[in-house]
Amino acid sequence: MDNRFGFKDLVFTLLLAVFIISVWLAMKQMDRHGDVLRSIDQKLTDQTRDLARLRRLLDQGSLALSPGHGSNPGSATQGSGDQGESPAQADPFARIRAVQQNPDYALGDFYVDVFAVVPDRLTPLVSSDVYASTVQGYVLESLAQRDPETLEWQPLIASDWTIEDNTDAWRAYMQRQEAEGAATAPAADAADDPERPIPLAITFRLRPGVVFSDGEPLTADDVVFTFDWIMNPEVEAPRERAYYEKILRVEKVDELAVRFVFKEPYYQAFELAAVMPILPEHFYSRWTPQEFNQSTGLLMGSGPYRLEDPEGWRPEPGKNIELVRNERYWGEPPAFDRLVWRIIENDAARLTTFRNGDIDEFPAQPEQYQMLLKDPDVQSRTQHFEFQSPTAGYLYIGWNQLRSGKPTIFADRRVRQALTMLIDRQRIVDEVMLGYAQVVSGPFNPLSPQSDPSVEPWPYDPTRAAALLKEVGFEDRNRDGVLELPDGRPLRFELNYPAGSEVFERIVLFIKDTLARGGVVMDPKPLEWSVLLQRVKDDRNYDAVSLGWSGTIESDPYQIFHSSQIPAPGDNSTSYANPQLDALIEQARMTVNEEERMPLWHQVHRILHEDQPYTFLFTRKTLVFFDGRIKNIQRTRLGLNPLQEWYVPQEQRKWSR
Amino acid sequence: MLTYIIRRLLLLIPTLLGITLLVFLVMAMAPGGIGGPMLDELGGQLQTAQMQRVRAYYEQRYGLDKPALVQYARWINQISPVGFEVMPDGSLGEWGFKRPDLGMSLTRHRPVIDLIAEALPITLLLNLISVPIVYSVGILSGMLAARYRGQWFDVSSGVAFLALWSVPTIWAGVMLIGLLANKQYIQLFPTAGLHSMLADSMPFLPRWTESGFEPGWLLDALWHLVLPVTCLSYAGFAFLSKLTRSSILENLSADYVRTARAKGVGERDVLLRHVFRNSLLALITVAAGILPSLLAGSVIVETIFSIPGMGRLGVQAVQYRDRELVLAVTLIAGFIGLVSELLRDVCYAIADPRVSYE
Repeated sequence: MDNRFGFKDLVFTLLLAVFIISVWLAMKQMDRHGDVLRSIDQKLTDQTRDLARLRRLLDQGSLALSPGHGSNPGSATQGSGDQGESPAQADPFARIRAVQQNPDYALGDFYVDVFAVVPDRLTPLVSSDVYASTVQGYVLESLAQRDPETLEWQPLIASDWTIEDNTDAWRAYMQRQEAEGAATAPAADAADDPERPIPLAITFRLRPGVVFSDGEPLTADDVVFTFDWIMNPEVEAPRERAYYEKILRVEKVDELAVRFVFKEPYYQAFELAAVMPILPEHFYSRWTPQEFNQSTGLLMGSGPYRLEDPEGWRPEPGKNIELVRNERYWGEPPAFDRLVWRIIENDAARLTTFRNGDIDEFPAQPEQYQMLLKDPDVQSRTQHFEFQSPTAGYLYIGWNQLRSGKPTIFADRRVRQALTMLIDRQRIVDEVMLGYAQVVSGPFNPLSPQSDPSVEPWPYDPTRAAALLKEVGFEDRNRDGVLELPDGRPLRFELNYPAGSEVFERIVLFIKDTLARGGVVMDPKPLEWSVLLQRVKDDRNYDAVSLGWSGTIESDPYQIFHSSQIPAPGDNSTSYANPQLDALIEQARMTVNEEERMPLWHQVHRILHEDQPYTFLFTRKTLVFFDGRIKNIQRTRLGLNPLQEWYVPQEQRKWSR
Repeated sequence: MLTYIIRRLLLLIPTLLGITLLVFLVMAMAPGGIGGPMLDELGGQLQTAQMQRVRAYYEQRYGLDKPALVQYARWINQISPVGFEVMPDGSLGEWGFKRPDLGMSLTRHRPVIDLIAEALPITLLLNLISVPIVYSVGILSGMLAARYRGQWFDVSSGVAFLALWSVPTIWAGVMLIGLLANKQYIQLFPTAGLHSMLADSMPFLPRWTESGFEPGWLLDALWHLVLPVTCLSYAGFAFLSKLTRSSILENLSADYVRTARAKGVGERDVLLRHVFRNSLLALITVAAGILPSLLAGSVIVETIFSIPGMGRLGVQAVQYRDRELVLAVTLIAGFIGLVSELLRDVCYAIADPRVSYE
C-alpha cells in the first residue's frame, strides 16, 4: 500500500502543474512586453534618424518641398513620341485632396477586412497568393497607375515619361537581317549587333522627394535594382521573370531618371514598366537571394501603409495581419490608421461576423446578396454596391475541334453557332445568377476598350439553330427527339466541368435542359480539378468543357486563340485555328500605339464572335457590402475608388489603439 | 522488458519506411502526379512557352523531373542522419553523418519544419484542453452509470451522450456560431480566430476599472477557445462513458468483488480500489489513441473556427500532392502512432502483473 498514488500525491501533482502553467504564462507575458519594447525602440531609432536628416537638410539650407504637399512639380518636360506624353494633370493625389475638403473628413479608425487563410509569406516576388499581393498593394508603389475614372495611365512615383517608338526602324532592320540571314549561314545572334536599333524604350523621370517608409529617398538606383533583382536567377521568382522577359535592360540615366529598353515592340510594354513595384535597394540588398527566398515577411516600400516590423513578419495561425499608416508617406496620407485582415475561413462564420458588425467588407454571392438586402438591420447599418468590373473574367463552354487527330462535329463552325443559339444564356443569368451577371459576346470584358461595342451576343434562337444544324446534316430522322446525322450518329456529347462547384453544377444542368429541347443530348460529367486539367490541357481527350478565364483590362487573346498555342499543353485546347485571326493578333501585339491597336482588337472580337470557338456565357457582377460608417466609397470605371480615399467621420470612429 | 522495448523500437524503422513508401506511391500514381495541382496553377496569364519555362524551373528546383522511386530515395536520404550530403545544386556529396532535414514544401516554398512548427501549437493547445475534459467526463459518468445501473442517471447520461455523438461536427460548429456568436440571437462568443482585434494592447489578467470589467489577454484567449473546444469534445463522451461503464459492470460481477464485499470492504473502496484498477485495461487500449490524435488535429473544427492547425495542413498537403509535406506529416503521424502502441503495451504490463513480455 505504500506506493499507492494517494490524495497527497494528487494535491502535490496538481500544485506542480499549476506552478508550471503560471511560469509559462508569465513567460508569455514577458514576451508581450518584449514586443512592445521592441516596437517603441524601433520608433525611437526612426525618429532620431529623421531628426538627423532634417538637421542635415537644414544645415544645407535646402529643405525641398515634398511633392505631395507642395505645388505640382510634374508636367515639366514632355517628350515627343506617339503616345509618349504623360497626362497633363499629373497630380496623383487630386482626388484625395478633394475628399479632405469634406466637413466631416477625419483621420483615424481601422479598416477591417477578411482573408480566408493566412498568406504563407508577404515577401514580394516569392509570395504566390492573392492575399499577399493585396497586402503588398498598400505597401509597394509603382511608377504609374491607372486613373480610376479615365483608365488612362497617371504618374505616381514617376512625374512624367517619354516613349521612343522605333518599331519601323527595327522592323526594317529585322527584315534586312532575315534577308541576309537567308544568304549567309544561320543568322548570328543578332542581339549583340551594335547597329541593331532599339525597338522601344521608355524613359521615366522620377518625382523628387519620394521616400521609402524608413525615410530613405527613392532614386533611379532602386528602380534598376528592382529589375535586376527580379532577373537574378537565384531569386525564386520564375513567374515574374517570365513576365518581364520582354525588357532587355533598365538603365539609370541620372539620379532621378530611368530608361526601360525593350527587346521587341510589345503592346503591353508601358504597362509592364509602369506596374513594376519598386523595391528599396538599401533594404533588400542586405539579404542574399537564398535568404530572400526563405524569408516570410521582408516587405518595405514607399506606399501609404507599412508593416510595423518590415523584416520580421511571420504567419501565425489565429493572428490578424495588420498594416499601419506610413507616417512618412511622401503623398497625401490615407485616412485609416490601420488596415487589418482577420482570418475567417468558413463562409457562414464570415457572414455572421459581418452581421455582427465586426468586419467592414463582405463580398456576397447572389443568394446571400438578396438575403442581406431583405434584412432591415443590415440595410440600416451598411451600404452595398453592385457593379460590373472591367477586370472581371468570364465563363465559357469550349468545343473541342480535334480529338485524337480527327476533327469532331464541332470542327464545323455552323454547329458551334447553332449550339450557342440553343443555349439561353440570358435565362442562365436571370435564374442561376439571379440577374447579377451579363451575357458576353467575346473574350474581352464589355467595359474594356478592347471590346467592340457593336458586337451583340448571339440570340437564343432554336429555329435558326435547327436550320443551321439541318444544313450540316443533323435531322431528327427516327422521330426520337434527338438529331442524327445521315449515318444515324446522334448529336450527343459529354460536357466536362470542375466537380464541387455549385455554380457550374447548376449552369451545366440548365444547359442540358435547353439543349435537350433542341434535340441535342448532353451528358454532364464533373471531374476533379487536376483530372480535368490533364484531360483538357494535356490529353485533349474531351468533347466539350465548361470553365472560366480571369480577366484584365486589356487581355491577351494570343494565349487562348492563336493557333501556335494548339500543341499541348498550350491554352488553345479546343484546337481552334484561323489564319486571319492569327495575323491580326500578332499585328495588334506589335502595335504600341493604343489608337491603332484597339481597332485591331475589335476585329479580333468580331472574328471570334463569328467563329464561336467558345460559347461565351457571361461575366459576373461584383456584389459587395460595406459597413455604413465608412464614407466616400464611390463607383468608378475601374470598380470602386481606392481605399486611400475612404474615411470615417470622427464621431463614428470604432477602433483606436 | 528492456530488450523487448529495444526490439520494438528497431522494428519501427522498417514499418515507417513501409508506411511512407505506400503513401508516396499512392500520391505518385494519383492524377496529376506529385506536385501536379501546384504546377497546373502556374499557368495564369502566361503564355505556353513562358509557362513551360516556369514549370521546368520548379521541376528542376524540386527534382520533380526525376522518376518517382528516385524521388523517394532522395527523400529517405534527406531525412536520415546518415547518408549523402546534398549540395545546393542537387548533386550528391560525401557519405557520412549529416543533419536530417524534412525538406522544403513544394507548394509553399518554405521549410516543412517551419510549417509544422506553426500548426502544431494550435492543435496541441486545443487537444490539451479538450482531451482532459473528454476523459474526465467520460470516465466519471461511466463509473456513475455503472454504479447506479438502470437508474435515472445511467439512462439519461446514456441517451444524452449518444444524442451528442450523433450530431455531425460540421453542423454543430456552424450552428454554434450561428446561435451563440450571432448578434441576431445570443452574441456570447467570437466567431473566429484566437484573439480579439485589440488583444495586443490589453492587460494580461482580467481586472475591474472605472469603465467596468476588462477581460484581459488571457481570458480573451480562453474565451476564443470555448466554441472550438466544445466542438472537439462533445462527441467523445459517449464512447468513453459506455466503455468505462461496461468494463466496470463486468468487473463488478466478478468473484473478487463478492469476496471484497463479503469481508466488509466499503462500497466506495470496492469501486475505486478494486474494480476501477481492473477496468483500466480497456481504457488503456483506448488511451493509446490519444497521442496520435493530439497531433492529428481536426480539419472540420479548424476550418469552421479559422484556426489552421495540423489537420488543415495535412489535408492541404494531400490536395496539392506536396511531396515533402505529405511525407513529413505521414512520418510524424506514423511515428507517434507506433510509439503510442508501444507505450500501450508497456502500460498493460504495469497495470496488470499477469502481462509480461519476457
